Amino acid sequence: MRKIILLAALITLIASTGADARIKVKGRGANMNFDPASLPPQYAETFNMMTKKCSKCHTMERTVIAIQTGRAPITGQIFDRQAVKAYGIKMLRKPNSEMSKPDIRNVVILLNYILDENKR
Amino acid sequence: MRHTTSLLLITVGAFAAQLAFVSASHAVPAFSRAHKVECTTCHTIYPELNEYGEAFLKNSYVYVGKGSKASKPAATAPAPAPAAAPAGDTATGEAPVVKGDGDAAKLSKLKAGAMGAVTAAQPAATAAPAATAAAEPAESQSEGLALSGIPEQLPISFTGSINYFTGDRRNMGTGGNDVDFAARSFKLHAAGNFRDKVGFFATYVAYSEQETGGNTSVTPSNNKTDINEFFLQWRHALGTPVNLKIGRFQPKLGLWKTNNKMSVTNNYVPYTYTVGDNSVFRIEQPQDAIEVNSILGKRFFGALGIVNHKGQNEKDGYGHIAYKFGGADYLGNEPNVDLDKEESILDFLTLTAGAYGYYGENGASNSTDPRNTYFRAGLDTELLYKIYRLRMLANYGEDDNVLLAANPWTDVISKAATIEGEVTLLVNLIAAARFEYLQQESAKAAFSNVYLRRYVATIGYAPLENLKLATEFKYEIGQTGVNRIGTLGATFSF
Repeated sequence: MRKIILLAALITLIASTGADARIKVKGRGANMNFDPASLPPQYAETFNMMTKKCSKCHTMERTVIAIQTGRAPITGQIFDRQAVKAYGIKMLRKPNSEMSKPDIRNVVILLNYILDENKR
Repeated sequence: MRHTTSLLLITVGAFAAQLAFVSASHAVPAFSRAHKVECTTCHTIYPELNEYGEAFLKNSYVYVGKGSKASKPAATAPAPAPAAAPAGDTATGEAPVVKGDGDAAKLSKLKAGAMGAVTAAQPAATAAPAATAAAEPAESQSEGLALSGIPEQLPISFTGSINYFTGDRRNMGTGGNDVDFAARSFKLHAAGNFRDKVGFFATYVAYSEQETGGNTSVTPSNNKTDINEFFLQWRHALGTPVNLKIGRFQPKLGLWKTNNKMSVTNNYVPYTYTVGDNSVFRIEQPQDAIEVNSILGKRFFGALGIVNHKGQNEKDGYGHIAYKFGGADYLGNEPNVDLDKEESILDFLTLTAGAYGYYGENGASNSTDPRNTYFRAGLDTELLYKIYRLRMLANYGEDDNVLLAANPWTDVISKAATIEGEVTLLVNLIAAARFEYLQQESAKAAFSNVYLRRYVATIGYAPLENLKLATEFKYEIGQTGVNRIGTLGATFSF
């Protein structure tokens, strides 16, 4: 009986922990990415574009960890809205990123949305 | 058929001829290991630097934005509450508590400082420091090493260069041949910083191929081992914005260090020319010197230095200034681009302009005989726009007694210029074309005037970030005729 109670408590704990993360994450390691199903439909196109373009040079895991921890995983710098914009500008100016200004703007809006959702 | 074979030989040879002049790359994988970043964080195709690599270099090999007063993160709002704390953080996001005897609070503070926390650098920011300290990647560093200032990873890297070249090379050294395969060099680099306070850099040439003049069955042995650069830079000395550099290094003159280029052979002529047989000074040569340098207002960089020559009491002096318009500043901060506005050329345009001067003298060691006094003055500019990069260099020099004769003195005026364009075709594929010019003239018949025009086309490809393959063709017109040299080079670092 004690085991059943403990198991139920554990399941409840896991379930409640999952409920906190507004934007879910799929995959592990290099395959890690935000779950598109947990994003509003208006972001679907931007999400797909972001995944395609960003993955040319680095894994999406880097972005996910930055959002989840509030820290850029390599530099340890704060990853907030201002940092999102700065990274966006960096990627805009990066040769062969093949991202236009409107592309970057949309990605910044998307990441800001995810940041805000994760703060709730 | 014969013509085709010749062309093929020349092309392949073009890869190799320049072998004889190949200099070492200065890419440093130790930085990748220490900061866990890819080579392309600082390089286009290594060893050529991008603007973040340039910022890293100017910040004494301290990762830009880390522990810097003027860096972007210092100006940002406090960090949002992390959804998942990094390993080692406490639940509140504060620095981990250090257990044991003694003053735990003080030790914790020391440890945070040792790990490059922003705490010490930004006293005004009260909300972020503790969390910043806790989240630094170096946090996993052992306490003893951190307090000692010793890098966790042994900061040593290796670079090897293998070149094949061919062509109708003239003035070939002993052992040279029309088509030459060569294991050119193998070097060790040590570089990094001690607790963000002192940067260090050393290059040791473990092997460079010796020309062979003996039996052709003998594989060329080691030419010599040597220290190329070996210096320390005290960062923000005494709390000022000034850095103090001591040791053996390339005096800060031009905008680019020797290997900050796509070519696998010649460095830029304005940095490399010498005058006659006696005035062998080069802008790019490492020298024993003291230098103060500083980044001011994020976009201005200045350097002043004194050079010592062995066997000569008089010191040489030099200065350099540079300013960057647009692009990331010298601290690695991105420009302020309004993403809501239409795309503008200024969003992508970066212009860096630099000027330098060097005044010195040379001659026989410990001699009071007539000496050669000389100066060099130069202007460098770089334009960067999206995938295009344009570098322009100009240098003017005067030597007043290049033959070191008592009478008459032979003065020589040197004029050198380079223009180089680059286009990034793919992330790992860059094409470059260069034109160079050198003219040295004297009114005295004792000096043979020098005239050089050089055209260089290079394609650099990095199948892996730490492996560069380059193919190059050089067409050179000089006094002795025309050189057509092809080079195929492979350079790797690990």
